[in-house]
Amino acid sequence: MIIDGEKCVGCGACVPYCPVNAILLENGKARIDEARCVECFTCYRSWICPEGAIKIPVLEWPREIRNAFSDVAGTHKVTGIPGRGTEEMKTNDITDRYGWGEVGFCVELGRPGVGTSFREAEKVSKVLAGKGVEFEKQNPYTHLIDESGKLRFNIGEERVLSCLIEFKTKLENVPEILRTLRSLESEVETVFTVGVISRFNPDGSIPILSLIEGEGFKVRPNAKINLGLGKRPGGDS
Amino acid sequence: MTHTLHRLGDEDSLKKDYVVVAIYAHGINDNQPDSRDKLLRIAEILKSQRPINMINELLWNFTPAIQAVYGDKGSFKAALRLLKKEDLGISITVSGLMSEIKEIAEELGLKLHTVNLSLGVFGNKKLLPSEKILEMTSMCGHHCVSPNLVKNLVQQVIKNKITPEKAAEELSKPCICGVFNKARAIDLIKNLISQK
Repeated sequence: MIIDGEKCVGCGACVPYCPVNAILLENGKARIDEARCVECFTCYRSWICPEGAIKIPVLEWPREIRNAFSDVAGTHKVTGIPGRGTEEMKTNDITDRYGWGEVGFCVELGRPGVGTSFREAEKVSKVLAGKGVEFEKQNPYTHLIDESGKLRFNIGEERVLSCLIEFKTKLENVPEILRTLRSLESEVETVFTVGVISRFNPDGSIPILSLIEGEGFKVRPNAKINLGLGKRPGGDS
Repeated sequence: MTHTLHRLGDEDSLKKDYVVVAIYAHGINDNQPDSRDKLLRIAEILKSQRPINMINELLWNFTPAIQAVYGDKGSFKAALRLLKKEDLGISITVSGLMSEIKEIAEELGLKLHTVNLSLGVFGNKKLLPSEKILEMTSMCGHHCVSPNLVKNLVQQVIKNKITPEKAAEELSKPCICGVFNKARAIDLIKNLISQK
């Protein structure tokens, strides 16, 4: 982001709106801490500046990647959908992205609200690649790494609001993946959330619950559930 | 995109928080000539059941997903009943307490397909704001609602400069998906103030 120093009156109204504390008030003017700013454009979209001093810059590589991963209003060029990931399980009743015996994982670095550099995400993807997981091909982060989970570009220090790593594995590998994620807790300098995706059994039970609890993880009472109302055009769910 | 999954809070608070997301399967539904009409119909259905918040109507014609959030089980269930009845073929995903969703699904004859379970937050948790602040900010899963904005607005409420309702309205603005539950935010703000 850019704050036009000529227009800024130093009222500080914009400061609390930044999700990553990148707006500083110094010498009677607001300015952007460029190292911290993730180019989410939240400050601009809040229309909080009475003088119109907040402006969207023209972003060039590699800085533009901050915006691609942080600006929720943008539609990602690869996925064709808004946000940092894919439709994941939200369209599984149509796409069958996660079939029987498969388990999906959504590991989101920097969430909730802390932010992350791609270097932190790389720490996780390198370890997961070594475990033979199948990274989601449509996920934006997958396009930035090679088969060993290493970043393909020199973007390690670029910061984003969050970076979602999506992958799937076989049901029997779930305990090992969970142990791996736990071991990564002390390796990363940021926070991360973990979501685990599974089909429901025909009787309505969830096949992965006992595996998760068996590894000592607690499942939160609220979840995201695909109701099975989606249909392929001309066909059944 | 897991933005409605990790909403924090205790079960009593989450009983007032149900999100519905209707989304095209990219490359499948969106290739159909009537797909936009179907998505718009879903938006009308969701709106008809008086959501607390939903995606801005100006975006309905452009977005591949329609989201709404309900503050009570009755409205949420009524919306799902209508969606099932109209059978539009667009994927519908809901977020909320699993026990409640299962109960509603059984009553409506819905066969649940896939679940995304939240295991919570890991890593360097010293960097996180307080749990109470996170209950508020996690209602925008993309985390465009800043913890500092919550603190700032709560202070303004304490000083009687604005009402909790106005503060909740302001907090909802950065969440352009429309899943920030303003009614729950009012409760949380009052709760935060009572603890000070």
